[in-house]
Amino acid sequence: MTSLDDARALLAEFPVADGHNDLPWALREQVRYDLDARDIAADQAGHLHTDIPRLRAGGVGAQYWSVYVRTDSPDPVAATLEQIDCVRQLIDRHPEDLRSALTAADMEAVRREGRIASLMGAEGGHSIANSLGTLRGLYALGVRYLTLTHNDNVDWADSATDEPRAGGLTAFGREVVREMNRLGMLVDLSHVAATTMRDALDASSAPVIFSHSSARAVCDHPRNIPDDVLERLPANGGVAMVTFVPKFVLQAAVDWTAAADENMRAHGFHHLDTTPEAMKVHRAFEERHPRPVATVATVADHLDHMREAAGIDHLGIGGDYDGTAFTPDGLDDVSGYPNLIAELLDRGWSKADLAKLTWKNAVRVLDAAESVARGLQQTRPPSNATIESLDAAGG
Amino acid sequence: MADLQDDLRPTVAAGELDDLAEPYPEEAVAAESYEPVSDPDDEPLTRAHAILAAHPVADGYNGLPWALKRLSYYDLELGEISVDTDVPRLRSGRVGALFWSLHLPEGLDGDRAVGATLEQLDLAKAVVRTCDEGLRPACTAGQVADARNCGRVAVLLGPAGASAVGDSLGILRQLHLLGLRVLTLTGVSWASEAGLTRFGEEVVREMNRLGVIADLSGASPQTVRRVLSLSRAPVLCSRSAARAIRPHPVNLPDDLLAELGEAKGLCLVPLTAEQTGPTVRDVADHLDHIREVAGAHCVGLSGTYDSGAAHPQELGDASCYPRLIAELLRRGWDEGDVALLTWGNVQRVLRGADFTARAAQQRREPSTATIAELDG
Repeated sequence: MTSLDDARALLAEFPVADGHNDLPWALREQVRYDLDARDIAADQAGHLHTDIPRLRAGGVGAQYWSVYVRTDSPDPVAATLEQIDCVRQLIDRHPEDLRSALTAADMEAVRREGRIASLMGAEGGHSIANSLGTLRGLYALGVRYLTLTHNDNVDWADSATDEPRAGGLTAFGREVVREMNRLGMLVDLSHVAATTMRDALDASSAPVIFSHSSARAVCDHPRNIPDDVLERLPANGGVAMVTFVPKFVLQAAVDWTAAADENMRAHGFHHLDTTPEAMKVHRAFEERHPRPVATVATVADHLDHMREAAGIDHLGIGGDYDGTAFTPDGLDDVSGYPNLIAELLDRGWSKADLAKLTWKNAVRVLDAAESVARGLQQTRPPSNATIESLDAAGG
Repeated sequence: MADLQDDLRPTVAAGELDDLAEPYPEEAVAAESYEPVSDPDDEPLTRAHAILAAHPVADGYNGLPWALKRLSYYDLELGEISVDTDVPRLRSGRVGALFWSLHLPEGLDGDRAVGATLEQLDLAKAVVRTCDEGLRPACTAGQVADARNCGRVAVLLGPAGASAVGDSLGILRQLHLLGLRVLTLTGVSWASEAGLTRFGEEVVREMNRLGVIADLSGASPQTVRRVLSLSRAPVLCSRSAARAIRPHPVNLPDDLLAELGEAKGLCLVPLTAEQTGPTVRDVADHLDHIREVAGAHCVGLSGTYDSGAAHPQELGDASCYPRLIAELLRRGWDEGDVALLTWGNVQRVLRGADFTARAAQQRREPSTATIAELDG
């Protein structure tokens, strides 16, 4: 047997529970939720990273579907509800393959049925519009993690990719974390500033997750996790789910992206501009400077380091498929997970270790959050704190 | 256990689902024949209590959750003097079911309306949870009957304003999942003075598919007529009295009342001085008139307590319903009509909506239409 066969056998028993997939956003942007136009029961290669045949081929057994909306959306709450509706419709349309999961016990039950447990995560505090009532509404609709920020700061938390403002979490931000603990909604620290990560670890009485982040010591990018934070995960019980996005995991790709963005700005365009004129400038740059390509080994390097810093019980996988333009070689779409597992087998990871990485840690962290919530609900009523009352002095 | 027996007869539903000529089969939702529960020789107030004990009030509009927001502490089970609705008064008023309004203050629209509605739903559920000796959440007619059989007041969520759905059927579906049961079709581009747009019609179809009841109080006559012809489930007017008696813009003229009656809709008469007049007799005049114009199956009650409105004398809080029923008995209402007014009609509309939804879900997928696509 090759290690790839071993990897597939392993995934048949302990499939991948992936922390982050942006299929709902891709469906919103590409076809405005016309689910017939992108039928995920059929092969959607060429349009999407994700469809059911490739999820099956990739050995995926649980997926947090991201209900992300843009931070500059004029109606982030409404758009988030539409994203949730999309996930529900996907689940309803594919009952043989997808099943809703709201708890760790659901995840295990769905695994036993041989279906893909479908959970939801909201990506960015902008989705709750500074309201704990709205946060509870999202929980009631099935959202099981909230990433505290996306690429921009929110009023109560700093993002990794924005100018520091709150210096971490404000008082209201800490109250959001406490209320998430009370509900049993996982606190997701991908995308947030290191200061926010540390504040959230201080404030949270439940384990946290990083739904799609890699190691900053391996590749110095603000979206990755610094070692001092990784080292706190054993005490917290949390899980860092490694992401595959080349421009976060490969130093050459980080540098190339910075140069490409600088080139765009030098030509008078915003670095995310996709108008034909801007793309022309970008293509010319790419012809002169070939884009560096990440591989399975790049991601495995991160996992090796994260394992050293945080320990085998605190690792997971969050591919960010359909949320990134480029993917590493060998991890081109959701069918690629076995290649990563095979690489880790070749590097001497044991089957028991890999079962924790792919499945067990992700289930345990949700179970732990539920357990903390049950305790807190005995002692604390729902919080009705407002940002005005807690952050009156400007945070 | 009459309510449980009133539930849908499965043979009827199964036999006729595929080929429904009527919006819903008459016999599936017809009221049982009525057996009197009071002694006709008793005083009207005594009889009112006897009738209400068997057929409590299903109150179509109550603003309690919002009113509680300004209180730092309250105890609804023991009694809360700073509001008009609490469990002791609901019990002495013989209220068996309450619709909790999620209408928002003026000026909230767009994303703020969606967010504020999520907050309202969250608050309403929290209040019910803290009050589980007295109140019980309910969505369907069956759950309302269950709550009553357990001696609890059933709480249904709605009406919410149309702006709550943010011009999106996906959001409508999520609000329904969170318990929303009634939506008021006014004040949005797709349900305005000009009537329903194509998207508005699609909203009504999706509401039918979900079991969200259309509330037409305050809607333009064009909207009312279009919804009456379009909706396969019965509709209601959550706060409308008779315009022939009192010319208030939200009150319904006789022609619309008659059309509502023909469509087996429901006109819930608000107990507000502004819309019905200052006395119990004024309210009874409206009920008399609507019963005559639209029919006894078309009239119900909305206390509108804790919504900021001034109430007629002697009808100042949720405990006052027996006085109103006594007045109707003095006017010669027979018991069967009173039972329809207080309980039966609301249950019929809920059952009709439940039935329509179950049937529609066999035929229709969730609608993916957008307002941009339909109303361009």
